[in-house]
Amino acid sequence: MELICKIAGRNLWRHRGHSLVIGAILFLGSLFMTVGNGVVSGMDRGLQRTIVRSFTGDIVLLSDKHESDNVFMEMMGRAVEPIEDYAAVRAVLEKDSALSDFLPIGKNMAMILNDEDGPSAFVYLLGVDFGRYRKMFPGNMEILEGRFPVEGQTGMLLPLWARKEIRDQTNVWFVPAGAPMGLGLDTSHMDADARKHRADMRVKNGMVMMGFNEANTATDIRLNVDGVFRYNALNTIFGHFALTDIESYRKCLGYFLASEKNQGKVSGADSALLSMEDGNLDAMFGTDSLVVTDKPAAGLSGPPVRKSPPREAVSPRPQNPPAGASVKPAAMDLDQGAYNLVLLLLKNGVNSDAALAELNARLKQAHASVRAVPWKKALGVVGSMATIIKGALFVFVSLLFVVAVIVIVNTLTMAALERTPELGMMRAIGARKGFIGGMFLAETAMLSALFGGLGIVAGILGVGVLSLLKLTSENDMLQLFFGGDTFHPLLTAGDIVLAGLQLAFVTVAAVTYPLLLARKVGPLDAIGKE
Amino acid sequence: MNIIEIRGLTKDYPLGKTIVHALRGIDLSIAKGDLVSVMGPSGSGKTTLLNVIGCIDLATAGSVKIGDRELTALDDKQVTDLRLHRLGFIFQTFNLIPVLTSTENVEFPLLLQKRLDRKEIRRRAEKLLDDVGLSEYRRNRPSELSGGQRQRVAIARALVTHPDIVLADEPTANLDSATGASILEIMKEMNAREQTTFLFSTHDKNVLKYARTVVNIKDGLIDGN
Ligand SMILES: Nc1ncnc2c1ncn2[C@@H]1O[C@H](COP(=O)(O)OP(=O)(O)OP(=O)(O)O)[C@@H](O)[C@H]1O
Ligand SMILES: [Mg+2]
Repeated sequence: MELICKIAGRNLWRHRGHSLVIGAILFLGSLFMTVGNGVVSGMDRGLQRTIVRSFTGDIVLLSDKHESDNVFMEMMGRAVEPIEDYAAVRAVLEKDSALSDFLPIGKNMAMILNDEDGPSAFVYLLGVDFGRYRKMFPGNMEILEGRFPVEGQTGMLLPLWARKEIRDQTNVWFVPAGAPMGLGLDTSHMDADARKHRADMRVKNGMVMMGFNEANTATDIRLNVDGVFRYNALNTIFGHFALTDIESYRKCLGYFLASEKNQGKVSGADSALLSMEDGNLDAMFGTDSLVVTDKPAAGLSGPPVRKSPPREAVSPRPQNPPAGASVKPAAMDLDQGAYNLVLLLLKNGVNSDAALAELNARLKQAHASVRAVPWKKALGVVGSMATIIKGALFVFVSLLFVVAVIVIVNTLTMAALERTPELGMMRAIGARKGFIGGMFLAETAMLSALFGGLGIVAGILGVGVLSLLKLTSENDMLQLFFGGDTFHPLLTAGDIVLAGLQLAFVTVAAVTYPLLLARKVGPLDAIGKE
Repeated sequence: MNIIEIRGLTKDYPLGKTIVHALRGIDLSIAKGDLVSVMGPSGSGKTTLLNVIGCIDLATAGSVKIGDRELTALDDKQVTDLRLHRLGFIFQTFNLIPVLTSTENVEFPLLLQKRLDRKEIRRRAEKLLDDVGLSEYRRNRPSELSGGQRQRVAIARALVTHPDIVLADEPTANLDSATGASILEIMKEMNAREQTTFLFSTHDKNVLKYARTVVNIKDGLIDGN
């Protein structure tokens, strides 16, 4: 062993040219591999932070009736079907030990009606219980104007991006209720075009929306804007999604309200309270007959969509209704009403594929009419982009592998052929095949350990430097690549071990053929063929 | 007692569609401790004969025994070990490992054998380098030695394991006659001192005086004798 290493080491020095070529490739290869691993890891963590922990969760549940898995990004797609038996779904989720949290939400598109005869705008609504939403996705947004809605009250949060789009289409600029709408108008988050047209745009703090569902039975609702916010990344993508309280959302989509279901069960004082709430709501819309309560008996089995009055029945809408009308008595179970999706967060370290498969099996067992899909599928093209970028990085690193292996194989093969007489002589005076093979292996392993090791160290430093640079981008493609607004390549101990293993793999792959060739050299080759 | 016993040895080389009969039935016995010169013109089969005896090449037919071991029945590992433990080689060129010093080259077979400790190996190697007159060149690498000095290192290396036979195919062909003579002189001296059997080939009649036994070979057959 000592002898092999001594000879191998000196051979490396003797054939410095070859050694340097192979060393340089190993160095660059492991450098890029390490940085690549760091970028992929950082991207993974970034995607976790900016998408999974901010918007979709790890797993999304949707109704069996909805064909496409892409529930978030299918712009021209059908309305998302309601989940009809959330109670059964919840029972399954509550027993699932892989989940750290889950959040049922409404998700569909709504039209913002223009009270002047101009064009209407569209916005995606996420109907949520604001309290649970905040708990599920803490710190995923920054409120720029106004405030976060009060839990248990009607409310709406408008993303900065959606506000800009709405103004582009309708010339209406929304501000939070209570914010100055005239002279003191907050222009700090205005885009350049909006600023230019400031004088001729209309400023409002509430909107009337009509939801789109598959049955075309939605109703109009009026909501005040509580706040304008920005998601912490991917705003041109997520910025289409406004948040409303779940009961307003249900009303807007024509779904059954929790309050209605509750009404079927509660009695006496509670019931009276609820009717009063209903009264309040109706008052808010300025009409008694806007919402037709065409209620079936409690325990209905049909889809939780009810008929809405014809569009003509809608009365003129007041501009400034009283804000913050309560729709939820303290004891009401919001889960009695309809949802479209359930977002699930997995506990740290849980294998998401396994958890998904197990969950789907359990849902099936419970005869729940939903299926679970991974977040990437639910995000459609955005999810695929993340996969594609990761895939491209992987292909790049693999290509590097292949090129490195080919060049090293080539160089080592040449070395083996050049040294045939010397190897044959060693065989003739008593060195076994294993000795020759060991010598070759030792040479390559030494190069690999030295130069590859240096490459990994350089890669670790490089990733550190890249991370310190805190590269930021507003561009969504880059944000996807960065996994957030800031580029945070990250190396875990696992990544470094992985880089080491990749290096070892390259070494073994590269040395195998030349090694077999060298082992074939027999003593007769020492004499050479004159 | 004979250290080498050869009976009916033939060696054919396929050459395109024809076959070259390099050895055509050799019978030869060599006594232990002899110093044998294999003589013959170019192409007569000297190298082939030495290669077969040295287990570097395989016989086509016939029997070759070294001591009591029949070579034709051995596998690669056994043959390698036989070369390591019982044979010594001196080639015309490419004798030494370029990255090792003279001492290290001489130590090499002993290190492969793993029989002795490092100290004893070093002691033996240096003693043999002294014997071939190279005590001043212990730390030189082959590239820093002359052709004759390299052949002397090769002799030291061939002898360091106390082999039964040392095989040398034209050890002096690449040297000028004076240097060649000194190499053969050393071989003769070592033969006398160590009782090692030497078998060397040559086509130079001037070196005959160093041999105790001369084997003439012509067209793959032993000639006269
Ligand atoms: N590998 C081989 N393939 C084909 N023919 C070979 C091979 N090696 C040797 N021969 C032939 O075998 C015969 C004997 O060759 P060998 O090398 O033993 O001669 P030699 O006596 O050593 O000659 P020289 O004095 O020139 O070294 C020659 O005719 C040669 O052409
Ligand atoms: Mg010859």
